Amino acid sequence: MELSESVQRGLQSLADPSAFDQTSFPALVDVSFQSLLSSHGDPAVLDQPQLKQIDQILLKQSHAAAVTLILEAVKQNADKSTVSSCLEELTFSAERIEIFCGTYQRHKKELEHLLTSIGTQPPRVNDVSWRLQYHMKNGQLDKVNEPFYLISLNTETKGTPEDINFTCTVEQLQDLVGKLKDAAKSVEKASQM
Amino acid sequence: MEEVDKILIHTLKQVGTEVSEEVNSVKQFTSELIVEAVVRCIRVIDPGLGSALPTSLPPGMSARFRVGMSLAQACQDIGYKGEIGYQTFLYSNEPEIRSLLMFLVERLPRESAETSDQPTGKSVVLQRAIAAAIKAQLAVPWLPPNCRLPLHGETQSPGGLHSFHVQPLSLPHCTKGPTKKELIDYQRDILPPVTAQPSSHASVVASILEQHTAELSAAQEWDSEWNSQGLVSRLTPQEYRSRKLTRLRKRAEEQLRSAALPSAESAFGGPRSTSDLSELLQAFRGSAPADQVLTKGSHFTHTQKFTFTQEAAAVTSPIPTGRQSEGDVQLRQEEELASLQQQFQQLCTDVDQLTADMKHMGVTNTQVLDELKQRELGNTEEEERMQVKKKTIDLLPDADNNLVKFQAQVEASAKRVLHLASQWEKHRAPLIEEHRTLKEICSNQDLESSRKLSEIKTLHDKIRVSTEEAKKKEEIYKQLVTELENLPQDASRSAYTQRILEIVSNIKKQKEEITKILSDTKELQKEINNLTGKLDRTFAVTDELVFKDAKKDESVRKSYKYLAALHENCNHLIQTIEDTGTILREIRDLEEQIETEHGNKTVANLERILDDYKAIRQENSALAAKVREG
Repeated sequence: MELSESVQRGLQSLADPSAFDQTSFPALVDVSFQSLLSSHGDPAVLDQPQLKQIDQILLKQSHAAAVTLILEAVKQNADKSTVSSCLEELTFSAERIEIFCGTYQRHKKELEHLLTSIGTQPPRVNDVSWRLQYHMKNGQLDKVNEPFYLISLNTETKGTPEDINFTCTVEQLQDLVGKLKDAAKSVEKASQM
Repeated sequence: MEEVDKILIHTLKQVGTEVSEEVNSVKQFTSELIVEAVVRCIRVIDPGLGSALPTSLPPGMSARFRVGMSLAQACQDIGYKGEIGYQTFLYSNEPEIRSLLMFLVERLPRESAETSDQPTGKSVVLQRAIAAAIKAQLAVPWLPPNCRLPLHGETQSPGGLHSFHVQPLSLPHCTKGPTKKELIDYQRDILPPVTAQPSSHASVVASILEQHTAELSAAQEWDSEWNSQGLVSRLTPQEYRSRKLTRLRKRAEEQLRSAALPSAESAFGGPRSTSDLSELLQAFRGSAPADQVLTKGSHFTHTQKFTFTQEAAAVTSPIPTGRQSEGDVQLRQEEELASLQQQFQQLCTDVDQLTADMKHMGVTNTQVLDELKQRELGNTEEEERMQVKKKTIDLLPDADNNLVKFQAQVEASAKRVLHLASQWEKHRAPLIEEHRTLKEICSNQDLESSRKLSEIKTLHDKIRVSTEEAKKKEEIYKQLVTELENLPQDASRSAYTQRILEIVSNIKKQKEEITKILSDTKELQKEINNLTGKLDRTFAVTDELVFKDAKKDESVRKSYKYLAALHENCNHLIQTIEDTGTILREIRDLEEQIETEHGNKTVANLERILDDYKAIRQENSALAAKVREG
């Protein structure tokens, strides 16, 4: 895991027992995770009683570094051993590594959710209803006599339902079904690497 | 035999036999288990042969018999040489079953060894992880939206998604360089923590990640630039940076100046200046391909244009609007406009002329100043010359005397010059030498420094290569560790090797004993041979002696007869002892055979077979009765 110089500096000061003592270190670790996971950015997140006596600049720097480390670790799906070896390089003591990794393991799933929530996704199909209709004639033609399908896809985008309606002939429907089967097959193939 | 049993049970479990945890030796195998194990092994070894065999024993005696017979036949088809029949399966005895199972396990194909040797890279591991994740997601059943639990949240109902939106963050870098007090105060008291800086909380993660990546890539770029160019320039990083900065600044200034020059001569009228600006920016773009500059510039020109047109409008707007007819007004306006334009043009020409005049005046002014300086210089020269002439005129009255004095002075000064020249020479030689040596040292140092530079470069390269290698190796190590963890934890390999080592050591011991016994027997044989030789010889000698005397003496003849008889009897005795030995050996062999037969429980087996026979007959008779009844 590569870390930039400023992050390394911030973490080194976090590892320094003279800067962060026994009570303030776990408090800052907790605050770092909380500030990422809380639903709104609270400017007063660092106003903890355990963190009062620390220089505010140092505190902010260490907080930024810790937050960056957490996000990078989750982004790379780093396991406990990777994180602890990374912290070891930054001269963390075994006890502090234990505290950090414990909190990291506890919150990893939530952080993964946080990271997966970045991005876009096409609407997902929840349900489908169809109707077979018969087209007999129209203004231009006296005899058409073709069946056609009315398909209604019940989709969902970000929790809001939406219907997609379209009509298609038998061939088009077959084509659609064939495409869907192809897609399912490719997913299965991908799962059997 | 414990290890062997462990290995057997482990392999049987791999084949698919359900061996319960309590069973840990072949002794505890039941008939059902044996049948299942054998059938599974046969199915793996030869699927065509094994598919016809059932894995469990049927309840009826005759059916059991048939299953046992077919199993035995299958085993013999595969190539089992030992004694095997239906009773092997139904009335198992430990050694037979063990040997059979060992044979079957040895015949099992070993395909697993090949799959584990696949080359694995990082991408392969990643792809495998992806495949596993997809598999897991495919295994989750689809649920209608109302039934979804938060458990399925990841894959089946996406929460609020937001796009990757980045906002600049401000981080306190407190340790670097002297910073202003106001900045420190701001950072201490007002700057919010990073997670509270972006306006929407959704962009916190993206902003932090982006910031970090930007810092990393900047550091990398600087590193590569420093390694390729900075090191060669032989400057410290700070010097290199400042030099680069000044260079860039100078370039920008040059560009600005060259672009500003033509516009300075005719710097009138708004639209003209904006076009100049855009030209200038064009020139900039040629040198520095930064799109940002261009967009900014165009934006700037737009605003410029906008303000200028506004001004123009403002100029034209305050025209007095009376109650005259429109044509009048227009006429007046046009007239006014024309007059104003004329005025404006005149003013422009006036200004042009005046500036030209000013320039001309400035030029003449400098010329005049130059002339003045030259004149002053000439003046001082003239004054000096005048003073010399004055002195000569003063000296003229006493000419001869003064001439002599002058000559003496001239001579003295010539001498002094000579003296000074010699002294100069004296001083010069060592100085020149020193200069030379210093030059040499300088060039030497130059050479050395360039050598060291190249060394540093190679070292840098080496460091990079080795760090890359180390990273690669670490990755490989991690992969191997995970692979090792993923491998099934079996003790079979170590058990095998241990067992083999034990057997080897046992065989060694046995060999030693055998050689000892062999040497003992050889010695005994030698002794026996010795003794028989001695006996033969002594017998021959005594025989001869006694025979000689026997001719003379009657009693001696008798003793000779006795001697012959004794010899013969002794031979007989030896023969008998040897015979007893062989018989004893035979007896022992037979006893062993009897014991093994006892171990096979032949009688019990026979009884069992008899019972089976009876049971089959009973079943047959029952069936016959049923047939008759039917």
